[in-house]
Amino acid sequence: MKAVGARLPRYDGVAHVTGQTQYVDDIRVRGTLWTKALRSPHPNAAIKRLDTSKAEALAGVHAVVTHKDVPRNVYGHLEALGIPADEPLLAVDEVRYKGQPIAAVAAIDEDTARDAVDLIEIEYEERPAFFDIRKAMDPDWPNIHQWGPVYPHFGSYNHRRVRKGDIEAAFEQADTIVEGVYRPQAIEHCPIEPQTALVVPEANGRLTIYSCTQAMYFSMGVVAAHLQWPLNKLKFVGGTVGGGFGGKVDTASETISALLALKAKRPVKWRWTREEEFLVSSTRAPWHMELADAVTSDGWILGRRMTTLHDAGAYARFSPYGVTKHAFHHTGAYTIPNVHFDGFVVFSNRVPTTAMRGFGVTSVSFAVETHMNRIAEVLGIDPLQLRLKNANRIGDTTPNRVVLKDPSTVPVVLAAADRVGYDLPDEYKSMTNERRTGDLLPEHLVAQLGGPEPASNGGGR
Amino acid sequence: MRLTVNGEQRDLHSPPLTSLLAALREELDITSPKAGCHQGGCGACTVLVEGEARRSCLLPLAAVDGATITTLEGLGAADDLSPVQAAFDEHYAAQCGFCTSGFIMAATALIDRTPKANREEILAGLSGHVCRCTGYIKIVSAVEAAVGSPA
Repeated sequence: MKAVGARLPRYDGVAHVTGQTQYVDDIRVRGTLWTKALRSPHPNAAIKRLDTSKAEALAGVHAVVTHKDVPRNVYGHLEALGIPADEPLLAVDEVRYKGQPIAAVAAIDEDTARDAVDLIEIEYEERPAFFDIRKAMDPDWPNIHQWGPVYPHFGSYNHRRVRKGDIEAAFEQADTIVEGVYRPQAIEHCPIEPQTALVVPEANGRLTIYSCTQAMYFSMGVVAAHLQWPLNKLKFVGGTVGGGFGGKVDTASETISALLALKAKRPVKWRWTREEEFLVSSTRAPWHMELADAVTSDGWILGRRMTTLHDAGAYARFSPYGVTKHAFHHTGAYTIPNVHFDGFVVFSNRVPTTAMRGFGVTSVSFAVETHMNRIAEVLGIDPLQLRLKNANRIGDTTPNRVVLKDPSTVPVVLAAADRVGYDLPDEYKSMTNERRTGDLLPEHLVAQLGGPEPASNGGGR
Repeated sequence: MRLTVNGEQRDLHSPPLTSLLAALREELDITSPKAGCHQGGCGACTVLVEGEARRSCLLPLAAVDGATITTLEGLGAADDLSPVQAAFDEHYAAQCGFCTSGFIMAATALIDRTPKANREEILAGLSGHVCRCTGYIKIVSAVEAAVGSPA
C-alpha cells in the first residue's frame, strides 16, 4: 500500500506532454482509405428504395456496404448476458433515429467518400416521431420497436421489479406521504477525441483493429458476431482513449470499418466528425422518476413506492442492465424496509442511450437526495439529521436483500458536515455505522434485522 | 509552399486550401495537433504560428506560406521538458491527454507574451480550450507553476 497517499507520476504523463501518445487517428498505415456513412435524416421512417450503384461507380471509391454485406446484421451488445439482439448494424427497411447508419463508403479521401455518400439514392416514407416517454403507456403510442413500447424481457415481466416488506402496511402507518417527480435529462459525453477506428486486413487473413473503445472485449465480441468470425482472427489494439466517460462503451465504428476493409481489401479508417459525435453517438439517458415515501412525523421513512421510466432510445443496447443497477440503488444510502419499485426501459425515436459515469445510479442518486431534502422540508426536520437517522448501518439490508457489512453513510455525512462547519447535536455527532440499537431500532426496522429474506431476482412479487 | 516547422524547412505539396492541421498530420506526420472538432471550437489543434497560438484547423496552408510553425514536438523532448510541459506532468494536468497539446501550446504562447501572467490572465489565455477529463483546476495550477518557474 505504498501508493496510498503518495504522489506518483502518471505512467503516461511524459508521453502526453511531449505529444508521443498515439491515439487511433495518429496511427499511419500505407494505403489507408477513409470512411463516410449515409445516415438517416429522419427520426422515424420506412426505407422504400436504396441504390448505391452511382456511389460504387465514382472514381476513388473502393467499397460501399449496406445491410446485405453483413453476415449477421442484427446483434445485441449484451446478448451474452441473456438480453436478446434487436439492433441492425446497418438499417434494412426502416430507420428509428436520426443519424442511424444505412450504408457506408470507403474512398481514397474524406471528400471523395462524402461525394459518394451524396450519390447514394434513397427514398424514405416519414413516420411520426415519438420522444415523450411519459406517453409510452398510452394506447396511441406506436410500436417503434419490434418488442412494443417497453423492453419486455425482465424474467417474465416487462419491467424490473423490486418488492420487499409490506408496502401497504407502511403507507397505512405513515403520518405523511411525500411525493416527488424527478427528470434528469440526456447528456452527451463529448470526448475531445471523436469516435475513431482503423482496420487493417493482414496477409495472414486476420484483421488488426485499432480502436478507441473503452470496452475492448465487448467490441471484439460484437465485431466477431457481426462478421461471424472466430475471435482468434481479430487482433484488437487499444487502451489509449481520448476521453470516454461511458460514451465509448458501445461498439460504434469498428464493425462497419471492418466490413469496408474486407470488401476493399485495404486498410480503412473511420473518424467521426464533431457533428456525428453530437448527433449520433449514444448519450446518457433521460430518466423520469416518480417517488412516494411513507414517512412518520419524527423522520422515519417506512416505505417507498417508485416508478422509473428510462429512455432507451431506439434500441435496447445496455439499458436493461442500467435499469437493474438503478433498481438496486433506489433507496440510495438509506434503509427503507418496505419498497415497491417498477422500472421500465422505454423505446423512443431518440438516439440509443448508454452508460455515463455511474450507469443508472447517478439518476437515482439525484432523485433520492433531492427527495430527502423535500422530506426534511415537509417534516420541518434538519436534512442531515434525517439522513443520519435513516442511514444504512451494519446489518441493514438493501432493496435487493444484500446484508450490509460496512456501509459508509454515517461517517461520510459526519465528515462532510464537519468540513463545512455544519453544526449537529451531540447525539448525531457521536453516531457510527454500528448495528442499530435503542432509539435507532424502532419497531418497523426490527423485522428486517432477522437476516435476509429469500433472494429475489426482481421477477417475483 | 514552404514552412519552417519545429526549426526545419519543409516543402508541402498539399493543395493550398488544405488546413494547416491536415497538412501537419497527414503530409508531415506531425500528430500532436489533434482533430477534435474541425471548426475552431475545442482548441486541440492549437499550434504556434510566428509564436502566436492559432487554431490549425481553421488556417488554410495558403494563409501561412513561409511561416514559422511550432508544435508540441518542437518544445522539449522527454528528457528535456519545457517548464510548461514539466508543470503539466507534475501537476497531473493531462489525464486522457487528447486536449493537452493544445493547452500546452496556448500556455507557452501566453507565458512568452506575459511572463508574469496572473490567474485571471491565465484563464483568459486558455479560454476556448476544452478539457473533458481533468477539469480545469489542475491545468490552471500547472500553468501558474510554470509562470513561477525559471525559464
